[in-house]
Amino acid sequence: MSGFSIFDKTSSLHSIYVTLMVNRIQMLYFVIILPVFLIYPYMIWVIILVGFLSQMSIFLLSKWFNSIYASKGYEGFAELLGERSVRVLAFIGLGLILLKITVITLGYVEITQHFIFPSLNTNWMILFILLICWYVGSLGMAPTIRFVVIAFLSTAWMVLLLVNFLFQPSNTIHDLFPLVPFDWTIESWKGVLFIFSALSGPEYLVLLAPWFNTRKKILKYMTIGNAFTIFEYLFLFIASLFFFGPHYLKEIRFPMMEVMRYMESPVFERIDMILISFYLINFVFAISIFILLFYGASRITLKKSKEQTTKSGFAFCCSIVFICLFINNELFWKEATNQNILLELEIWAGALTYILIPLFLFTSLKRKGRV
Amino acid sequence: MFKKRKNTGIGNKIENSITKTKNTPITLEGLRKSIEKMDDAKIIEHQTQNSKLFVLIYVEPLIDQARVNEAVIEPLRRCTKEKISDCISVSEIIDISTLKEAEKQLMRGGVLLFDTIENQLHAVDLKNTTGRAIETSETETILYGAKDSFTENIEQNITMIRRRIPLTSLKSEKFMVGSQTETKIILMYIEGLTNPDFISIAREKIENIDYDQILDSSQLAAFMEDHTHSMFPQFQQTDRPDVCAFALGAGKVTILVDNTPFVLNAPISFFHLFQSPEDYINRWIVASFLRVLRYLSFMLSLLMVPIYVALTTHHYQMIPLQILYVLVDTRSRLPLTPFWESLLMLLTLEVIKEASLRMPTKSGQMLGVIGGIVVGQASVEAGFASQVLIVIVGISAIASFLVPNYLITKANTLIQFIILILASFLGIMGIFMGIILLFVHLNALTSLRQPYLAPVAPFYGKDWLDLFIRGPLRWMKTRPEALHPLQKWRYSRRR
Repeated sequence: MSGFSIFDKTSSLHSIYVTLMVNRIQMLYFVIILPVFLIYPYMIWVIILVGFLSQMSIFLLSKWFNSIYASKGYEGFAELLGERSVRVLAFIGLGLILLKITVITLGYVEITQHFIFPSLNTNWMILFILLICWYVGSLGMAPTIRFVVIAFLSTAWMVLLLVNFLFQPSNTIHDLFPLVPFDWTIESWKGVLFIFSALSGPEYLVLLAPWFNTRKKILKYMTIGNAFTIFEYLFLFIASLFFFGPHYLKEIRFPMMEVMRYMESPVFERIDMILISFYLINFVFAISIFILLFYGASRITLKKSKEQTTKSGFAFCCSIVFICLFINNELFWKEATNQNILLELEIWAGALTYILIPLFLFTSLKRKGRV
Repeated sequence: MFKKRKNTGIGNKIENSITKTKNTPITLEGLRKSIEKMDDAKIIEHQTQNSKLFVLIYVEPLIDQARVNEAVIEPLRRCTKEKISDCISVSEIIDISTLKEAEKQLMRGGVLLFDTIENQLHAVDLKNTTGRAIETSETETILYGAKDSFTENIEQNITMIRRRIPLTSLKSEKFMVGSQTETKIILMYIEGLTNPDFISIAREKIENIDYDQILDSSQLAAFMEDHTHSMFPQFQQTDRPDVCAFALGAGKVTILVDNTPFVLNAPISFFHLFQSPEDYINRWIVASFLRVLRYLSFMLSLLMVPIYVALTTHHYQMIPLQILYVLVDTRSRLPLTPFWESLLMLLTLEVIKEASLRMPTKSGQMLGVIGGIVVGQASVEAGFASQVLIVIVGISAIASFLVPNYLITKANTLIQFIILILASFLGIMGIFMGIILLFVHLNALTSLRQPYLAPVAPFYGKDWLDLFIRGPLRWMKTRPEALHPLQKWRYSRRR
């Protein structure tokens, strides 16, 4: 295996992977806390509107995928933007990726602590999750991308479990009123920002373009993924509205998980614990992808993109991520009560990257006259 | 400092001298020297009717003595022709020019015939072909369907496949592998159907084997595998010719090894290990049900004991109240923690399973029954294990046997132990971490450089018709996409 490289592009993956990746990357930590930020039934329209906005970003991203630069990977970016600019962008990207990894990992770990292991030191859980992600990533980018199929099949069905909550005898259509906002507060704007940030993630797929059959109806496949996410968001939000009602929804930290707590089975009580554990598969997939991107970005920043990748280098990156997560967990996440600074930062960062990266790439392509 | 030194030792010198000797022109003395101290080798001198001396050299156990008398000795004794090779009534006579060649023929069941007048050596292939008769497969038993299975005779095995696929496009390439054993390997595939990449990869892998002994197909598989350190088999080993014919027809390659009844099929996926030949004999609904049952059993055998440990160690709140009463009652008198209790019971079970396999058939069955019942009952009465655990261990042991591939059953046991350890530390979360690691590992595996989790990852939707279920054969119009066959359609006339 001497010729093994983490970023080997031995196979060209079908565009269906783009659909699955768009969807699963949009279904991470934010979807679990989504109803808390939306609360009011009229936010149903906001989800749909922001979904269209997300579609705009995806449209711009598809232009990049269809360009001649996309399949070239790093060389494509360097050709379009210049090597120095790419290095600067990679350096900025390092921080953004790290922030994303931090929020989704710490968020998930917090959920496991809340529902499964109340007395567990969360740093152990972070370590275990990162060890798994290190193993996933060390096998290479192509197998990690392929892992999305397993992540999708293992977690996408969970939405169906909530169908039952839509048809409870206690539900009335009045639970979904008012559908038109009477007042539009700063909180409502924050809700919009939150949804847009929750939908972010597909912008990082531009870095994975060399692994896909980029020219085959990419927009269609990305659109399907995005549409499926919007449907899931709507479904989950309406289910939680029916179950808790807007007044009680404000009081709950993890509404989606709390809903699942009420499910019953003749074999197991507390199905939520099983479902949370199942959801780990999706998180492992996403974190592994982001760690691989982090490794790639650090290689570009350090001008080592042309050298052979090493497993020790990747392990070193994983250790850096662990240290950062450990520090952030101790200093910010555990201490956060009402205001979680990391979460706030990620809401802004996610929304900004999702709008700026597609725009930036599109204008760069326009400038080069390649669109 | 660590530079490889050129071997100039005595061994090398001897080797060189042997090579030199073996390439020298052949003499009777040289032949005698080659077979000295071989009591089973015979040198017989006879005269023809016109008093010409001829010498026969052969290794007695390797040849068919009756045929030697009938086809060589008697015709030569009566021979009146000038050239003695003209008197022999066999289809092929090979002229030998070097000692090395002569030795090779001798050790493969050839009879060397030395013409003293012309000073020429001939070889006649009269190898002893006696072996085991064709019997029913013991490893892949089925109620209906073909009953024949491969034997140790490679020619016979090829015949069984060729009878099923009477096509000239069914190609067979011969390789000799193993510097000591010179084992005959046959690579079979259907030209124009099997993806040429698979053929060239298999060919390359066989040609690159540099080892002294290849005695079994599993040994060959070990040298051809893409991932040496995986617990999962990357070749399907089968002794059923119908399975091989099906695999060839789907677009795989088949590798036969001489003196082994087990044939290798590749590339395979994880899901192939759950397919039984009987799936294609049963009605599709029944076959689908049985296949789903096999997958479920595999998961049950992996997870039942770890779930017991996770629930009783970390998550009592997950157990319904009625079951909890039973569990608390049975566990209250036990001195061991659930983890140690389970570990000991699983290890005991493995010992019983392994012992019953190694014993003669009848004793093995008895040992299995007595061991299972007596040890289980005694350990409950002695207070080492709870009745609930005995039931769980029993079910998981039986469930593990539903997987048709025995190799995966063994891997299953090891994975179960790993998940058990994770469950004892991290409860239900640990179990899922174990499952994720398993999926990740499988996802990165390849067989003949093809993804092991195909058609799930990578995704080939059409192949799902013969994956978790076995769809009606009429609907399976195309060959598996994951195998990238050159002929997509199974029907000769497109419908």
